[in-house]
Amino acid sequence: MAGKLSQLRSIDPSRYVVYVGFVLILVGFSIVLRDDGFLTTRNLLNIVQQTTPITIMAVGMVFVLTAGEIDLSIGPIVAVSALLSAVVLRENFWFLGVATGLLAGAAIGAVNGLLVAYMRLPSFLVTLATMGFLAGAARWLTDLQSVPVTNDTFTNIFGSGSLFGVPSLLLWSVGFVFLGHFFYRDSRYGAHVHAIGDSALSARAVGIKVDRVRFSVLVVSGACAGLAGLLYAGRLHGARYTLGETDLLTVIAAVIIGGTRLNGGVGTVVGALIGSLLMGLLNNGLILMGLSVSEQLMVRGAILLLAIALTLREKRA
Amino acid sequence: MTSVTGRLTVVATALLIASTGLVAAGTTTGPNGETAVPASSVTLTPEEEDKIKSGGYTAGLAWHTPSDYTAAVDRGAHDEFARLGIEVVAVSDAGFDPAKQKNDVETMMAKEPTIILSLPVDPDTASEVYRPALEAGTIVAFVDNAPTGYVQGTDYATIVSDDLAQMGEKAADAMAAALGEKGKVGYLFHDANFYVTNQRDGAFKETIEGKYPNIEIVAEMGMADPAKAEDVINAFLIKNPDLDAVYVTWAEPAEFVLAALRNNGNTHTKIVTLDLSELLALDMVKDGSVVAIVADEAYAIGETLARAAAASVIGKDLEPFYAVDAIAVTKDNVKEGWFQSLHRDPPATLTGG
Repeated sequence: MAGKLSQLRSIDPSRYVVYVGFVLILVGFSIVLRDDGFLTTRNLLNIVQQTTPITIMAVGMVFVLTAGEIDLSIGPIVAVSALLSAVVLRENFWFLGVATGLLAGAAIGAVNGLLVAYMRLPSFLVTLATMGFLAGAARWLTDLQSVPVTNDTFTNIFGSGSLFGVPSLLLWSVGFVFLGHFFYRDSRYGAHVHAIGDSALSARAVGIKVDRVRFSVLVVSGACAGLAGLLYAGRLHGARYTLGETDLLTVIAAVIIGGTRLNGGVGTVVGALIGSLLMGLLNNGLILMGLSVSEQLMVRGAILLLAIALTLREKRA
Repeated sequence: MTSVTGRLTVVATALLIASTGLVAAGTTTGPNGETAVPASSVTLTPEEEDKIKSGGYTAGLAWHTPSDYTAAVDRGAHDEFARLGIEVVAVSDAGFDPAKQKNDVETMMAKEPTIILSLPVDPDTASEVYRPALEAGTIVAFVDNAPTGYVQGTDYATIVSDDLAQMGEKAADAMAAALGEKGKVGYLFHDANFYVTNQRDGAFKETIEGKYPNIEIVAEMGMADPAKAEDVINAFLIKNPDLDAVYVTWAEPAEFVLAALRNNGNTHTKIVTLDLSELLALDMVKDGSVVAIVADEAYAIGETLARAAAASVIGKDLEPFYAVDAIAVTKDNVKEGWFQSLHRDPPATLTGG
């Protein structure tokens, strides 16, 4: 009995706030918007599909934050990957376009990783700088012009298609979170990421290749942003330099609300998914409530503040 | 925010077409070369209005980015829909993100609106943005531009926009009036392929060169980043210290130009620009450097678009492209001009209230 009690006491309730909050908001919208199409399958699927690129980037960000780093460059990586992929898709096999987008994301992540892990520069400043550089590159690549994507195979896989009636974006979300969760929780790599976030010194002492892991989390994050770029390009049947421009804060908010610690060592991929869905749920429900744009922003901000307060409140000593 | 800052990055592709030859000198045309028809020609008879009022129709508004301009268009649309008994069931703002605009349209489709009014963030990718609305048979009408590949009358009802050439012409006329039709002027244009600014800037230059032989453009330079306008005006003034006036492509860079003139202690060079800004208007009413701000009738854009979409719902044919008038706002008409453009009173700082 005493053992069970102490086990219960050791559970940190703030880790589950996002799940409770998600359910409460879902139930709240379901009641308020019961006659406004909120609970239709189409609308609920919309929420998942619309948040898929955010979810994918959030999974990458969980690894980065857990390792004690941060990646601010994901927004323009989305744009650069989507644009490069769209340009290649104009005249090439779809797979080549996909490979280009993913490799571009991973390569940019590798540059970030080299500077952070091997040049010993802080990831906040490195990715802040690459964010600026890439935002310029995205504008320069196609001289501000959008690039249409007309390859049906590509748009089916990465955007508007479905498999056995299940939308491809839903499959991407589920598959990627499953994969991310496995690597994060059950692989040696995930354990190393956690160990570095807890204490890089201790991790090094037990033989973990700290630099290599630091490098790799930024490559993972870049590749995730590259994939998000492909998903945007597939969904919109085209790419544009502004894609991903506003995603960084949404991704970080989703990850933090989901229960990942900003200063490393603790995180959850499933929590990030729920955080991402929560953000999508708020966008969707507040529009359907017929609120003005100003009201939507205020209500969204207030709800997020509440969620953050409950999740991140420091325990008293 | 101003009207153009709201749309600078919006109209990216069709713009190239418009800015490279399809635009006849001094004539506003639509993004695909459509002839501009006055917005005032969109009318409804009392019988048609009754028919609309009894229809129980609803509307969604999917805007592109928040700004004074968008707020005025939104107010115009809301008011006209209210007058016609059409309920606005959803409003969204895409923050310049085409992916968010797609999400917004998908989301508002859950409420099955009869009409969606929107300004496409990116015409090239917008055909996917509005596809759910088209598939559901929703009437879609646009501000400024339509998605690439869409056919007017089949896929969308109409486009309503500014009379861009008129704005440029009125800016030239206002500058000429301030200078007594003679002097040396600078021309600071927007150096990008953007339909809105290209037409406005071009019309200004053509009007000065064609209509005012005693006004000489002695310095001209393009800029893409509003903050760089300060460097440009400084360069103009170094080469032409006696510059009488400068045309600035829109209000935000004009604010930097004003700052540069103040820093230089220059009280001689006059500024003419486009799109309302409280900061510039305040300088104007205090007899500073700014002599005229040309504005579009943003409220009328929303009003006309709502009326046109309602007309389309009951099967009325529409022209492909309607344009609203422009107003030159000066110190003498700042109160009326402000209201005519944005349908709200100017800030108290401008009227001494």
